[in-house]
Amino acid sequence: MSDHLPVLVLLAPLFGAIAIGLFGMRDHRVCLPVVLSALVLSLCCAIGIVLKVHAGGTLDYFVAGWKAPRGIGIVLRADAINSPILVVIAIVAILAAVFTVRHAGERDTEKTPHFYILFLLLCVGLFGITITGDAFNVFVLIEVTALTSYGLIAIGGSKRCKVAAFHYLIMGTVGASFYLIGVGYLYLKLGSLNMQDIHTILASNESLADSRAIRTAFVFILVGIWTKMAFFPLHGWLPNAYSYSPSGSAAILAPLVTKVSVYVMVRMMVSVFGLDHLEANVEWGHFVVWLAIIAIAAGSTMALAQREIKKMLCCLIIAEVGYMVGGAWLGDPQRWGLTGTVYHILADALMTSCLFLAAGAFAKWHGAAKLEDLSGLFRKMPLAATGFVVGGLAIIGVPPTCGFYSKFYLIRGAIEAGHWVYVAALLASSLVNAVLFFRIFEIAYFGKNPVESHGHGDDHGHDHESEPVVRREPPLHALIPLLAAAALVILLGLCNGTVVEFIRTGLIETATVVSTGR
Amino acid sequence: MKAKIFASIAVTITGAILLYAVTDFPNFGDPRSPANAGVEGGSSSASLYYIENTYRDTKVPNLVTAILADYRGYDTLFETVVIFTAGMAIFAILRVLRNEDAPSAPDPESTNRTIDGDHHRIIVGITCRIAVPLVQIFALYVVAHGHHSPGGGFQGGVMLGASFILIALSGSLRDALARFSEASYIRLASLGILIYAGVAFLPLVFGRNFVDYGALRGLLGTEGEEMARSHGIFGVELGVAFTVMSVMFAIFANLSTRGRLKGGL
Repeated sequence: MSDHLPVLVLLAPLFGAIAIGLFGMRDHRVCLPVVLSALVLSLCCAIGIVLKVHAGGTLDYFVAGWKAPRGIGIVLRADAINSPILVVIAIVAILAAVFTVRHAGERDTEKTPHFYILFLLLCVGLFGITITGDAFNVFVLIEVTALTSYGLIAIGGSKRCKVAAFHYLIMGTVGASFYLIGVGYLYLKLGSLNMQDIHTILASNESLADSRAIRTAFVFILVGIWTKMAFFPLHGWLPNAYSYSPSGSAAILAPLVTKVSVYVMVRMMVSVFGLDHLEANVEWGHFVVWLAIIAIAAGSTMALAQREIKKMLCCLIIAEVGYMVGGAWLGDPQRWGLTGTVYHILADALMTSCLFLAAGAFAKWHGAAKLEDLSGLFRKMPLAATGFVVGGLAIIGVPPTCGFYSKFYLIRGAIEAGHWVYVAALLASSLVNAVLFFRIFEIAYFGKNPVESHGHGDDHGHDHESEPVVRREPPLHALIPLLAAAALVILLGLCNGTVVEFIRTGLIETATVVSTGR
Repeated sequence: MKAKIFASIAVTITGAILLYAVTDFPNFGDPRSPANAGVEGGSSSASLYYIENTYRDTKVPNLVTAILADYRGYDTLFETVVIFTAGMAIFAILRVLRNEDAPSAPDPESTNRTIDGDHHRIIVGITCRIAVPLVQIFALYVVAHGHHSPGGGFQGGVMLGASFILIALSGSLRDALARFSEASYIRLASLGILIYAGVAFLPLVFGRNFVDYGALRGLLGTEGEEMARSHGIFGVELGVAFTVMSVMFAIFANLSTRGRLKGGL
């Protein structure tokens, strides 16, 4: 069965979703064991893929067994770039699933099975996007991911999350259609949808590589993906969608969906168009880095202006997307920028997961939606607050969390590329993050006891007047994923050498594919 | 107004870029275009391969069906999942499961009438009652005949779904729900995906790759792997039809009653 790992990784959640559809509607207790076992199976498959790639290099899986000629069937391709991402997706999904044990849709607990079906199908989509080697298949799975995201956001009871989901639906559909147009143009000019095949044709045929249709295709794919990842001018849908959605949905959507879109961009650059090809034919590469700098500045500034915890975190995601896009486009010869981007996809998924789990727990068990509501947090729930602090320190970039190392590699790439403004933007953004998070830590640590007038439903109704705050951690199903995420943030930081070396074998492998292709 | 100006500028720019690219396109229907004949340096064209080999590989005369359900069956599985997801998302958003959530529900009895009123009801009802089985038989034919003519699971599934919607429109939604209840359409939609994914998964048991229906030769007792592929495609189409039919009706039922499944048109 080990040959089939690349397809099993996404079949496990698919069959899980079917099982819930068949048996979970009557008896909601079926849902959770199914979800967890499916995701654990996926995690095992993902780890198996990493081990196999580590031992034997790139792994190709020909769906339906159509091998020759290339481009007839669909190929799944696991290499050193995407296999670590599969593992992180599985981990974050498991953490979010445990977090949602009790209150899947927050209000409509009758809709638990529907929540979990959408949840598992979202995982199917994310795994599928990450592992596929076919440009059109990416689109189909983007559709799966997008539809489930809209559903997961709108499943919350409030009206504003439905409006946010609708806004996201419009933007997301435009992004997906742009991607589809791009892939259509590629097919029109190259007659192939297989990523590797497209790459070979482009690398061997100079005149074709320079053609208008190919350039337009690249621009459309890029803009489509940027919309999906909320790159700065196209970010409008993100803050409302992620902050108004139920905490359980936000805990999986916020860390993963944007990050997987960044991965698609990296994949398009590295193994579809090819870095050498892009450097030779795309004159506006440095312009993208400037756009990324603007995104970082805008994200950080917006984060400073927010009073709500979740909104602030959403703005930070926009800044982080700026880091990653900028890093990918730095174009330094040693590819440290790109390495940093791929590593940051992993790091940011874990950091964001940690922070959104914490924010969800605070909203539910501390009644905190705004920054001021967090006062007295350390005394009330010290462990949960510690988890939040680790996430915050990672976003700031304090060693030994993974946030430090990803910034280190990004800055190294920027210095080698001589892009000093990007370095400055990264450092300034870290400074802003420090201001943001230390402000929160101050409120949470030194702040007076929760004020009576914060107006948000503290449904557990503990006594605000009593002088010593009762220590009341969130329940275990919320606390354990939060602490696990925090531990993983540190673990990924400590193991950065191994992980980066692994990623770089993948990047260098694909880079040499370019040079021999000519 | 400002938004309109901004939008028209964005649309104009996008349109201009698209037109810029069009000048570089191969001629319409050009047999030597890259998509039809392949490119130098690349593998030989996919189109040529399909035209020359599809019948040999799968014994399916309709190339489109073979490409859809076999060569790119993996894509189609997820297209079916998209439809299933749409149904689930609509349900998750619209369906009202608690009474207090119902937005000022009007009396179900008052809205429980057909559009035309009572005196047309007999003619419309009886005509539709005659039409529905015919529609369904034709739909089954479309599902099964996808191998030879345009058709297949998606088209047949839409027709099957439409037949239930016809019952709801000509009589009342309650009649339709009595025949096709909520529990059964959710189960059937999942079952459709299960059939598709299951047929695609079975080859793994025989040590072959996902979607490789050729491995089912022993199980189906066919002469060659090609016939097994042909039968595999039929199984997959059946799964698609189940899912599409159920989701079509689910979306209609939820949209027309604002998720209450009472009253409606």
